[in-house]
Amino acid sequence: MDYNVIDQSKEITILELLDRVLNKGVILTGDIVISVADIDLVYLGVKLMLSSVETMEQLKAGKATGVDRLIS
Amino acid sequence: MTIIMSENKILFSTGSLDGLSNEISKVSKDEESRLKLTPDNAGSGLAKLVLTLIELIRKLIEKQAMRRVDGGLLSEEEIERLGETLMKLEMKMEELKKHFNLTDRDLNINLGPLGELM
Amino acid sequence: MEMIIYSIIALKTGPGQLNTVLNGMKGVSGNGLYAVTFNEIAAVVSDIGNIDFITDKSVAIEYAGVIEALYQQFTLIPMRFGSIMGSTCPIIRMLERNYSEIQKNLQKVDNKFEFGLKVICNSETLKTELQSITAKDTSTVTITSSETKNSIYRDYVNKKLQEHRLEDLLLGYVDSVITDITRNLDRLNAINKFKRMLTASIMVDSVFLLDKWRKDDLIEAVGDIQDHYPRLKFVMTGPWPPYNFVEITIK
Repeated sequence: MDYNVIDQSKEITILELLDRVLNKGVILTGDIVISVADIDLVYLGVKLMLSSVETMEQLKAGKATGVDRLIS
Repeated sequence: MTIIMSENKILFSTGSLDGLSNEISKVSKDEESRLKLTPDNAGSGLAKLVLTLIELIRKLIEKQAMRRVDGGLLSEEEIERLGETLMKLEMKMEELKKHFNLTDRDLNINLGPLGELM
Repeated sequence: MEMIIYSIIALKTGPGQLNTVLNGMKGVSGNGLYAVTFNEIAAVVSDIGNIDFITDKSVAIEYAGVIEALYQQFTLIPMRFGSIMGSTCPIIRMLERNYSEIQKNLQKVDNKFEFGLKVICNSETLKTELQSITAKDTSTVTITSSETKNSIYRDYVNKKLQEHRLEDLLLGYVDSVITDITRNLDRLNAINKFKRMLTASIMVDSVFLLDKWRKDDLIEAVGDIQDHYPRLKFVMTGPWPPYNFVEITIK
């Protein structure tokens, strides 16, 4: 397979894009409880928030256990 | 839905792009750099976290010690003692890594803002 | 029904133009886009039904595509992926609460683009080069006369000291490159941000915010700089929506 410059450019573009849309941009504050194995462990002020994809995973896991949501 | 964006945002680059995407991936907050605690890996996951933090502190201590030595105001004896302590710290770290079967790569957890101390 | 917010737009001539544009576009999962307005700003949103799918990176790329399309035509501040709110009322309240901060940031990025520049190096080669051209002795600290016995601890310190000095040399070099870049971009009236040694290879990671019409000047300026550093690799990307220059956290 010829992994050429065009493919490389696309790949780098996607990486740069994801870095921006997942880690930069404006954040909505809220408060998050992080649970491990369904046990609420850590109350996290959103200034320490991880990437948005992770937050959504927490939301997904937490929907059943009433985790606070990312809304103001 | 059409994604209306150019697939290539690279304006120019000097030299080849080989290996660049690998480098950039290293710093993205993705799967590998995230710490996931599950019932199965809780023990080793915790060890990874603790050792990463210890290693961070050790490196900071080492850096600061070198600044002192470079400053030229320490006595020979002080430098000797510093060397002995630092060496033993590093050896201990190697021991711990071996004990938990972790490599330097494993300890490369994204520490977020803490990571910028290094 | 939750809504995902893509960005906040400056409504310069009223909401008409925005609505027209949004009618011709789709959001993630093919849902329609619409504007939630408050005074002279509007949040661009779409409904999201099932929150599960949102953990997929391809959705993030789709989301970014919407922002990309919008920023070609409007002044906006992009939201981070995952900005979700319950319904239009809280969104309007949010816009109202943060109105002045939002306006300030919209003004800051008005008619400007963001560009990224990464400078790539080979740290090991670079350190070796720096060591040989520098006058400073990076080998050992002079051992005072009283100590004649061989000490493994002393050797250890010397080794670490050399590493430390090399690292300082490297960082000094990185700073000089950054100073050079800053100086060359001075006439472009840009806001610059730099990160040093992101990895062993990514020596400089920088982003610039500058007027749209200066794009060609920027490319020329960076081209000039890279002539000074034939052994470093310069990779420039852009233009981007101003992700790196919207430093507000919305309450």
